[in-house]
Amino acid sequence: MRLLLAEDDRMIGESLARGLKQDGFVVDWVQDGKAAERALAEKVHDLLVLDLGLPRTEGLDVLRGMRRRSDSRPVLIVTARDAVADRVAGLDAGADDYLVKPFELTELAARVRALLRRSAGRAEPVVAFGDIELYPVTREVRLSGEPVALSPREFALLEALLARPGALLSRAQLEEKLYGWNEEIDSNAVEVHIHALRRKLGTDAIRNVRGVGWMIAKPQAAA
Amino acid sequence: MILVATRSIRRQLVGWLSAGMLVAILVAAIATYLRAREEANDIFDYQLKQMSASLTGVPLAGAPPGSAPGAEALIVQVWDRSGVQVYLSQPQQPLPRDAEPGFNTVRSGTREWRVFSALAGDRIVQVAQPMSARRELAASMALRTIVPLLAVVPFLVLLVWFGIARGLSPLERVAVALGERSPGALRPLPEAGLPTEVAPLVHALNGLLERLGSALGAQRAFIADAAHELRTPLTAVHLQAQLAGRATTDADRAAALAELRAGLERATHVVDQLLTLAREEPGVSDRSFAPVDIAELVRHVLAEYAPIAAHHQVDLGMPGDGATAHDAVIDGDASGLRALVSNLVDNAIRHTPGGGRVDVTVQRESGDVVLAVRDSGPGIPASERERVFDRFYRIPGVRARGRPGTGLGLAIVKRVAQRHDATIALESGLSGPGAQGLGVTVRLPVRASAGTP
Repeated sequence: MRLLLAEDDRMIGESLARGLKQDGFVVDWVQDGKAAERALAEKVHDLLVLDLGLPRTEGLDVLRGMRRRSDSRPVLIVTARDAVADRVAGLDAGADDYLVKPFELTELAARVRALLRRSAGRAEPVVAFGDIELYPVTREVRLSGEPVALSPREFALLEALLARPGALLSRAQLEEKLYGWNEEIDSNAVEVHIHALRRKLGTDAIRNVRGVGWMIAKPQAAA
Repeated sequence: MILVATRSIRRQLVGWLSAGMLVAILVAAIATYLRAREEANDIFDYQLKQMSASLTGVPLAGAPPGSAPGAEALIVQVWDRSGVQVYLSQPQQPLPRDAEPGFNTVRSGTREWRVFSALAGDRIVQVAQPMSARRELAASMALRTIVPLLAVVPFLVLLVWFGIARGLSPLERVAVALGERSPGALRPLPEAGLPTEVAPLVHALNGLLERLGSALGAQRAFIADAAHELRTPLTAVHLQAQLAGRATTDADRAAALAELRAGLERATHVVDQLLTLAREEPGVSDRSFAPVDIAELVRHVLAEYAPIAAHHQVDLGMPGDGATAHDAVIDGDASGLRALVSNLVDNAIRHTPGGGRVDVTVQRESGDVVLAVRDSGPGIPASERERVFDRFYRIPGVRARGRPGTGLGLAIVKRVAQRHDATIALESGLSGPGAQGLGVTVRLPVRASAGTP
């Protein structure tokens, strides 16, 4: 899952980006409101972690702009403003959650996961499809109940495919889920990771439509 | 009762009023007495004359007729021409023979007598009366006048006592209203319907409450701002500590701890800057002014910042090999001025890109010492030059190198300058590559008008 982090303070931004990466998220970090709006326009992020005191465009204005454009991606506000009125204003402006600084990184990651889960329309903390079960919290994958060891990239790829079963995802779309802005993308990385996933989960687990992309679909028993 | 203290307005007023009334009654008594005596004189003189007239030609035997008031005390003497006393009404009261006709006042023994002598044929008739009779009459008249007045005095005192209590009751209400207030309640007291004597006091109190309120509001805003500004570096430290705890390799841990140390330095710096600003708060600083050599101070600050400037490849120094004025001594607060210079130099270094330059000059111009710090950084747009002195204000989108700024540096500079009656000017500095630079000029009067702002 790829997150956009909008935080103007350099030290806090660095620490948050590093902590969220350690929790398995792909994180892009911007330091002002204008940059946040440009990043949101790319539509590659699954969730926005938003500080309210942003220079250039206030955090709340970024949020209102998103909602005005019918951008329904989850937004988690992290701010030092702890007054009830501020929380109410943030939530009423369209935020999905509100976390007051300082906070625990584990709580931030848990809230991010909860928001992603809810935005995917799930209540249970496990993504299941056929024999495959994916646990975002523990970053575990099980096949027919047996644990399968996946690399972080493989996990992220499977998570992206499982988020929309039956939908075709292009190579570019998958790359966006796997890599942040500053990360070098190997030309055939997606193919390599798909290959590994098929080897570990079964050849039928992921289907390829040549020239279009990949999708996850139920193994067809009849075939 | 609100005024039971030793200096009670009520007691003073009652005391003065009672004394005034007693004096007035005394004056009335004396006046009555004097007037009554005058009238008694007229009446009795007339009576003496009548008596004397009625005696002429009357056989001289027995008591004289008539029984006018005080007649018992009358003495009648009759003399013949040869000076032989023919008649004396009261032998035990001899009067000196006095041939002068008309009214006379004579002293006989211890008593004073009013004597009327008249010539009737070949005899002299004298009628006399003691003066004390007249005085007694006058005194009794005066007494009759003042007794009712004296009887009224206690009632008047009581009336005044309660009248004053009633008159002072607005003061009592004000005192009760003030006494019931919580320390933070600074609403003005109602001024409507107050007597003219109390209204100025309440008005002045309201003025004080208003000033207190704005001072308190400024303090609260400062504390709220400060708490908010402290939360940011503390959040960073909090996160950095969590990352350090998560680190699995020694290299990760060392890197995380270095970050944590930087975060702590920053939080400490914010606290230091807040304390400096609080000390420069108007009315707080009690440090007295002493002669301070600005050039010497600048050299110390430059020595302190030289390693930092070198680290960032910024050329920091005094142009012209430090040939500064020798008489750059002003009356000032050394630690405040040091904070001023440090903050200006620190700002300049942090906003100047590598390869840039920061020049500090100190010059003497007539009655001022002029300190200028010029850098080749991006400068401050004219539209922001007012606001940069507000505490916690940061120019949007501008990022300093190294630790993030506290937003307090220029606020401290402004406060220190104000205490020294100095003026600050912002203009372009040393033009660098694609930058206009910033020049901050502080004009410090050699002798500030006062030691406090």
